[in-house]
Amino acid sequence: MALGELSTSYAGRKGPLFWMALRTGALTVASAGLYRFWMKTRLRRYFWSAVRPGGVPLEYVGNPWEKLLGFLFAVVLMAFYIGVVNLILMFLSFSLFQTNTYAYVLSFIGVLPLLFFARYRARRYILARTRWRGVRFGLEPGAWGYAWRAAAHWLATLLTLGIYWPRKAFFLEKYLTDRTHFGDTPLHQGGRWTMLIGAMKHLYFGVGLSGVVVAVAVVADQPRWLWPLAVTLPWALWGLAYWRAEAFRRLTSAKEIAGAHLTSQARPRAVLGIYVGGYLLTVLVVAAGMTAFLFVFGFVVGGIFGAEGVFQALGSELGGENGGAGGPGTGSVPGAGLPFWIATLYGIVAYFSSFLFWSAAKHAYVTLPLARHFAETLEIRDAQSLTRVRQRGRDEFAEAEGFADALDVGAAL
Amino acid sequence: MSGSATPWGGTAAKAPRQPDGFADFADGTGAALKRVGLRLYPAMAPDRLLLTLPDGRELAWPLEDLRRLPDQAHEDSLVLTSAADPLARLYLNDPRLAGRIGAHVPADSLWSGPRPPLARILKWGLGAVASVALIIFLLVPVMADQLARFLPAEGERALGDATFEQIRRVLDDTGTPLAICELPAGVAAVDAMVARLNPRFDDLPYPVRVSVLDHDLLNAFTLPGGRIILFRGLIDAAESPDEVAGVLAHEIGHAVNRDPTRDALRSAGSIGVLGLLFGDFAGGTAVLFLANSLINARYSQQAEAAADAYAHDLMRAAGLSPAALGTMFVRLREQYGEASGLVAHFAAHPALSQRIEASLAAARDIAPGPPALNADQWQDMRGICGGSLAARLGRILGK
Repeated sequence: MALGELSTSYAGRKGPLFWMALRTGALTVASAGLYRFWMKTRLRRYFWSAVRPGGVPLEYVGNPWEKLLGFLFAVVLMAFYIGVVNLILMFLSFSLFQTNTYAYVLSFIGVLPLLFFARYRARRYILARTRWRGVRFGLEPGAWGYAWRAAAHWLATLLTLGIYWPRKAFFLEKYLTDRTHFGDTPLHQGGRWTMLIGAMKHLYFGVGLSGVVVAVAVVADQPRWLWPLAVTLPWALWGLAYWRAEAFRRLTSAKEIAGAHLTSQARPRAVLGIYVGGYLLTVLVVAAGMTAFLFVFGFVVGGIFGAEGVFQALGSELGGENGGAGGPGTGSVPGAGLPFWIATLYGIVAYFSSFLFWSAAKHAYVTLPLARHFAETLEIRDAQSLTRVRQRGRDEFAEAEGFADALDVGAAL
Repeated sequence: MSGSATPWGGTAAKAPRQPDGFADFADGTGAALKRVGLRLYPAMAPDRLLLTLPDGRELAWPLEDLRRLPDQAHEDSLVLTSAADPLARLYLNDPRLAGRIGAHVPADSLWSGPRPPLARILKWGLGAVASVALIIFLLVPVMADQLARFLPAEGERALGDATFEQIRRVLDDTGTPLAICELPAGVAAVDAMVARLNPRFDDLPYPVRVSVLDHDLLNAFTLPGGRIILFRGLIDAAESPDEVAGVLAHEIGHAVNRDPTRDALRSAGSIGVLGLLFGDFAGGTAVLFLANSLINARYSQQAEAAADAYAHDLMRAAGLSPAALGTMFVRLREQYGEASGLVAHFAAHPALSQRIEASLAAARDIAPGPPALNADQWQDMRGICGGSLAARLGRILGK
């Protein structure tokens, strides 16, 4: 089986993924967030198994229980930090500066290295639980090294108003890639950071010109001078898609493992199409889902309270005998004549449903098509040497991605 | 090698029957894939799946050990492993064969992976809950109480102003901040009432500032920095100016005792911790808000009793009967029924009956002077949000 070149196929389908995301999301809400460890595990299994380099699916073997334990572990440590440190910062900020801005800024800066630390740990956990052809991936320990380097690079990026971005992106990607292993074999990120400058060009122009337009309009106090934004903002969006595809393509094509080379043919136009079309479809699905929800809720409430309850609701809205200066619950909530708890229930369920529809539709119409595009344009050349890769030991990793989960970074999917 | 039909080459003679099909096999020691022949029900062991490796070796996987990887994207193919050899993988891409072999895989295959011992989950769970409870209910309150004493007056006022804007935004359903009522005559009446109560300014490092918000809620609260908020619903429900004065005196008591400052610092500490606990599932901020108001919506019984006692003193000194505060509590109870359920949890104060009795006791030996406001001033206060019939109708129709 000396195949020199492996192309990647993609097996994910929108429908099954949408329903899986909707179902597991509903269970997560119903369990006050507890099920999210299972939801994440199941969605990752689906996303991973959809990517098939050389026809063999990737596999995610993470376990929801270890995620739960890791999260609890992180909570014990983080609760102290977040609670006490935030309180002291809030106190100092109001005592010394009479505003909470400093507290928010300081609290954010204080938690920043922790965010990078958590992100690295989460990546290490996810790689340790990813397999291809039965062989584990892995990431060497090095979270603190990553944290301070990432903090420094982000600082430089902020200070240069984003001009430094390609260097930061390259440096951090190289740090991660050079510590990534497939089995016993390390990956290597080749190339130089300068190769990413070209990938940034449309973002530089789009965002930079938008900034200039806003600055000029503000300084001159002429809101009408904002019209060039109609050109520069779409340019910035194109820049985002261009960066996403080009940076991935250039970085991936400079990656190498044991003599095998990765190549990517990711196309900015395809990414832009997915952004625009995918988010449009997502919005439509949310609208359709919420309309369906309104009808179902109306029928259920009508069924329980019968015609009488519905008439009461109508009566109080028209006649106002129950309305006027009443207590809470007689505001502008639909079904104002119904008991307070029904209006509350309606509000809560509607609120969560809209989020559920949004995240499920986004998985199906944005995340999946993006994954499909990046997968299908990925090839491995000189792949025969990969057959020499040996298995690596299991990375036990007691805390799983607990920190990232507690801080809500990096471990999204 | 003699081609793909007999991938195990020279050892074909060992296999008495043609295989049922072929699959890719990863043995879990390295990344090399092996093409294996598969046979169901081999003669010598009918309860096994026989894998014939390229080098002629044979693996016999017991059927009951077969495990299917769950949540796979590709519906026609199958990825199998064996409970006895969990690192090995068998990739079946032939839908017919996948269907045949899949029928033998036990249904409860790898679902959520092995569960760690229950004792360990409980230990960690209890540890997390205990440490969070310790922080929210002990450490943060104790620190907040201490820090509240040292927060300078300007800091308190800034804290109150920031909170006020947030509350105005939260209370309104339409998205714009709730309107502040400030018709000049009404504001003058409110000022007159504050002057009549004449709070002792050595108790407070800043003057009391009273705002009326245009909302139906029968409620009032105090923010850090001596900022007192009355809802129009409370003024509407009161039948005499003394009743409003009673509530005002009570709120001044909270300001003097620095209860709101403590409360604000407490929620600054605890809201982040709650965010940790629930994660940001489906925009968890709603849950956060709910949970935090459950923890912080009300002051402790002692804080309420202390504010009541302060109010009684203030009213007596101003020649007003503290019983008016009790009357207001009665209206509160009427409005929200016998404090029960979710509404009571957010709106009612605890142990109202006791507090009504306390206000009556404080009023026993007092000969009250004139009411807190004269009739004209009282009309002005009731009209502070634009109290004409037309304006009121417009508000109702507008909703």
